[in-house]
Amino acid sequence: MRKNKLLLLISSAGVLVLLLAAAVEENFRRDWRRIQSAGRSEEGPIAVQLRQVVNPSLRVQDRCVSCHVAMGPGEQGVTGGKTLVPHKAVVHDPAEYGCTICHGGQGLATEKDDAHGDVHFWPSPMIPSDSSYAGCGSCHAALGVPNAALYRQQSAAFERLDCLACHRVDKRGGTVRPGGGGMEGPDLSRAGMTGYDKDWHAKHVRKKEESTSGPWTTAFAEVGEADRKLLDGFLATRVAASPLMEAKAAFHSSGCLGCHKVSGTGGEEGPDLTRGGEKDPGQLNFGAVQDKHTFANWVAEHFRSPSAVVAESKMPPVAVDEKEIEKLTLYVLSLRRRDVPGSYLPKDRVKATRFGEREFAADGETIFTAFCSGCHGRDGKGRRAPGMAAFPAVANADFLNHVSDEFLRTTIKQGRPGRRMPAWDSPTGLRPAEIDAVIGYLRAVSATQSKADDKPRFVSANAESGKRLFESSCSGCHGAKGEGGEGPALRNPVLLKSATDAYLIETIANGRRGTPMPGFTASSTVHRTYAPAEIESIVAFLRTWEGKK
Amino acid sequence: MTLQSGPQRSRLDPEPVPRRDLLGLGALWASASAMLLAVVGMLRLPKAAVLASPSKKFRVTLPETLAVGEAFVPPGRAVAFYRDTEGVYAVSTICTHLGCVVKPNAEGFECPCHGSRFTHDGTVAKGPAPRPLPWLKITGKENQFVVDEGSTVPQGTKVNA
Amino acid sequence: MTAMEQFVANLRAAPSRIVETAFRSGKPETDRTRSTFVFGNVFLHLHSVRTHRWSLRWTTTMGLGIASLAAFLITLVTGVLLMFYYKPFTEVAYDSIKDIHFVVPTGRFIRNIHRWAANVMVVCVILHMARAFYTGAYRKPREFNWLIGMGLLVVTLGLSFTGYLLPWDQLAYWAITIGANIAQSPREVTDALNITEYFDPGGFQRLLLLGSDMVGPEALIRFYLLHVMILPLVLGGLMAVHFWRIRKDGGLVKPADADQRAGTTEETVYPVFTDAPNRTYHLAAIVKGRTSQVGRGPENTVPSMPHLFYAELGVLMLTTLVCVLLGLISDAPLKELANPAVPENPAKAPWYFLGLQELVAFSAFMGGIGIPSIVLIGLGLIPYLDREKAGTGEWFGGPGGWSLVKQAMIVGFLSSLAIEAFVIHYGWLREWFPNIPQLFITALNPGTMITAVYGAYSVWLVRKYASARAGAMGLFTCFLCGFLVLTVIGTYFRGPNWVFYWSPSEWPKH
Repeated sequence: MRKNKLLLLISSAGVLVLLLAAAVEENFRRDWRRIQSAGRSEEGPIAVQLRQVVNPSLRVQDRCVSCHVAMGPGEQGVTGGKTLVPHKAVVHDPAEYGCTICHGGQGLATEKDDAHGDVHFWPSPMIPSDSSYAGCGSCHAALGVPNAALYRQQSAAFERLDCLACHRVDKRGGTVRPGGGGMEGPDLSRAGMTGYDKDWHAKHVRKKEESTSGPWTTAFAEVGEADRKLLDGFLATRVAASPLMEAKAAFHSSGCLGCHKVSGTGGEEGPDLTRGGEKDPGQLNFGAVQDKHTFANWVAEHFRSPSAVVAESKMPPVAVDEKEIEKLTLYVLSLRRRDVPGSYLPKDRVKATRFGEREFAADGETIFTAFCSGCHGRDGKGRRAPGMAAFPAVANADFLNHVSDEFLRTTIKQGRPGRRMPAWDSPTGLRPAEIDAVIGYLRAVSATQSKADDKPRFVSANAESGKRLFESSCSGCHGAKGEGGEGPALRNPVLLKSATDAYLIETIANGRRGTPMPGFTASSTVHRTYAPAEIESIVAFLRTWEGKK
Repeated sequence: MTLQSGPQRSRLDPEPVPRRDLLGLGALWASASAMLLAVVGMLRLPKAAVLASPSKKFRVTLPETLAVGEAFVPPGRAVAFYRDTEGVYAVSTICTHLGCVVKPNAEGFECPCHGSRFTHDGTVAKGPAPRPLPWLKITGKENQFVVDEGSTVPQGTKVNA
Repeated sequence: MTAMEQFVANLRAAPSRIVETAFRSGKPETDRTRSTFVFGNVFLHLHSVRTHRWSLRWTTTMGLGIASLAAFLITLVTGVLLMFYYKPFTEVAYDSIKDIHFVVPTGRFIRNIHRWAANVMVVCVILHMARAFYTGAYRKPREFNWLIGMGLLVVTLGLSFTGYLLPWDQLAYWAITIGANIAQSPREVTDALNITEYFDPGGFQRLLLLGSDMVGPEALIRFYLLHVMILPLVLGGLMAVHFWRIRKDGGLVKPADADQRAGTTEETVYPVFTDAPNRTYHLAAIVKGRTSQVGRGPENTVPSMPHLFYAELGVLMLTTLVCVLLGLISDAPLKELANPAVPENPAKAPWYFLGLQELVAFSAFMGGIGIPSIVLIGLGLIPYLDREKAGTGEWFGGPGGWSLVKQAMIVGFLSSLAIEAFVIHYGWLREWFPNIPQLFITALNPGTMITAVYGAYSVWLVRKYASARAGAMGLFTCFLCGFLVLTVIGTYFRGPNWVFYWSPSEWPKH
């Protein structure tokens, strides 16, 4: 019995010690207790207790305020350390929205690493604080965002025309009315969200005409139509999130939508990116990432070298500098969705999903850089990337000079079946007006015009001899069966249907300057020179492919 | 080990007083205190450490125009704001009888549960409510205020606005 | 005394009278008061009033039965506490566990203890079964109690399995998906015979388990009900019978010469019946047959109060210590929220089923139904096939003894390791003959191979020692070792797609 008494004594003592250790651990050694015990409000020390922000309609229950006390409802006066600082002034009150809607992370947690989502089994870690504006994407869909060049132009116009003299935008500018009464002009930081009077210019002009004294007489001058368009574009993107707008503009300059869908519009080759910012870091391969294994770093590395990060990726590297990659990463982080009840759904999201308004601007240059430039190059001069067939130079003047707009339209609408050029005439593709805008842009940038052709087919020549000529001079780039290689696939039904004989003859005869396609009538040391009849026979041979698979 | 036998001592007689069994007693007390500590710890579990209801402190934006004597009730909250010449004050709209939410009316408030009536400043006009409606602590200025439902202030405390 | 004085006197005596009437037998200082203390207490009277000293030795039982009970009580208490906050509905279950972990006072600690105590219970129950087997505690008159014990084993595993789903995380969801599919494995046979349309026990079992064709809210509520009410009640009922049976079978098993070997005593040994009794004592019942105490006096027994109770309390506290220590240093796992679209790879059953999952990889039927049935039926038949007497109450008692067990351990380990190594390195029938009918594999797979080797060895033992007990010891030991080998392989060496890897660092990245 003595043994058992000893066993009982020692085990009980052990249990006592461990229970005390557990009690101490829970009641004294929690980080949130330590942080809160240093907290002071104007009435004295704050009560040390778990705190949370609750919003049942948003299904929010965020305990971040157990450490970040001063960000809690009504607690802005609490101080006492670097965690106890109030939230910056933002549009959405954290006391109503909670924290995780915008910042991500694990709202139910009360330990730092768990709450920040830096633990293995939490699939949505906090958005890095330097990319906080990415959180807006959970609910908002900024509409009509142009590409970076146009965005810069719009911002420059706003600065140049000195609208900041009266109007405050993104914490800059504006003048206080002397004698009280607020600011001279309304704060336009959120004009894109709240809307603004589309008739503003006429009203400004009238005000100026009617004024006899005061700022209206000197501060405002009429604005030309082109500049007005730029200003309207600028105002449409004022949503109190300019880092995100810059990032989206960068996205619309990189041609990503050519292969990836976002919000239901885009190409099919790559994965749908609508929720691309919600990837679970625990499922990603960080083998190629040199820095800290965060999702943001993975995304950035993906831009630098897609195939190193995703096995068998057919994505060409995004050919931009590190600043651009930072912006694109911010945009990708913003690609998230949160289920919100109708009363919280922002107008822009409703316009996008229910009324089909576009998130990209409607001008041809933006659409081109957003959809086409990824493959065809930012300047439309074509692109090469390792391990994939070359992409044609669609803005090439020699090409555009010999095709009609109808050719371009058909090509864009129907694509190149069997090749990587998608058919954009689809519910997830481009609308007719948008395709026309792209064509207009190509015309403008190449300074060419549509060429009508009333005799599309006139060649009647010997296809057999054309075949031999094709095999000797063309198949090296265009493939033995016309399937393409360095050069485009000629044995393609859409191409052959829309290409006129004149176009084919011209291209073969004179080539395309700036591309590997030579002109075969010019004398050369590297290839034979062809007579016009021989060229016609090649065309006749090409025509034999029509109607066949 | 003594071997007692025969009629020396009957099993029915009490045994001679043994040495104090320190080991046994110690073991039993250790075990009892361990179990007691465990029970005390477990008893703490049912009391929730954090409540899943909306915070007691919340922000209110008063409308620009609020007539004297007109109550502003923030949506979803049991509080009535008033603004008069002396300032702004907030009266709790939870009846002091049994906790129903009172409705503002022309004379002040009325409670649908047992018919209590109050004046604009919360004083009981008609029972069975035993106490006037408390005034809640508010801080702020102009139109922006923070209400603390957990703190009350004496009747008549108004915040200049 | 006037009535008023009487009234006051009674009021003043009330406190001490309350104590006296509550504890009527008085302080347990004499053998008689010790007896009545046990006998007259509703909670304690399941115990015998006196316990044989042999039963109290640590080496007799290692305290494993009490340890299993202790682990159960700990899971019961912590489980009830968890029920204050756990919500058994798929939208909120996971978050309620997060709440328990982060904000419920003592929640994290209690959940951890619950998880560890459950594992400790499974381990203790298996070790207890091994102890009962090796000491021949299933022999007459204890055969039926052995069967009750097997029922307790199955219910314990059921409790652990049903509890596994409740956190509704990836681990839980996919483990139970596998478990439910194992329940459906009779289809392997009915499909091969083309009778599934008419006779589908597999599908029926799975539907009964899940309440639906997928693991979902119906399964969760069903498992919750089983876990917190049905199975604990069944376990409680079986435990009551189990302990009652120990009493009726004459206490724990002891060797025939236990009295001689009980050893020198620490305490005064004295004969119990010194006087003719002059009081009548409670008569428990008139029973048919003889109790095992006929012809024996209570010599070499000691009063249960305090000897047995110190022993039981000691084991209870030790088990508590282990569970609390583990609960303090190691968090119960919680992976991502259950996602039916993203299977865990590898998706693993709870550890005590991983040995079976290893076999299931070859034949769902054999691993899921076949081998477990063989094992259960085999275990159940042991008391009826071994009716020998030699060695009862001794560890490894019977022909062969410890050296037989040593040899069986070697056979058990080596044969299962060898067959597993072969299969891991070379593959099995499906790799060499892709079109072979599944029934061939059902009949011929590592599980049946290992079973056949064990069976052959045990038959050889029976013939060598002319003893069923020898064969049983060999077979039991082999299965224990095989279970260990398969569980270890399933736990540590199987990675994504159930491919063999020497270490998790070799697993392919996603």
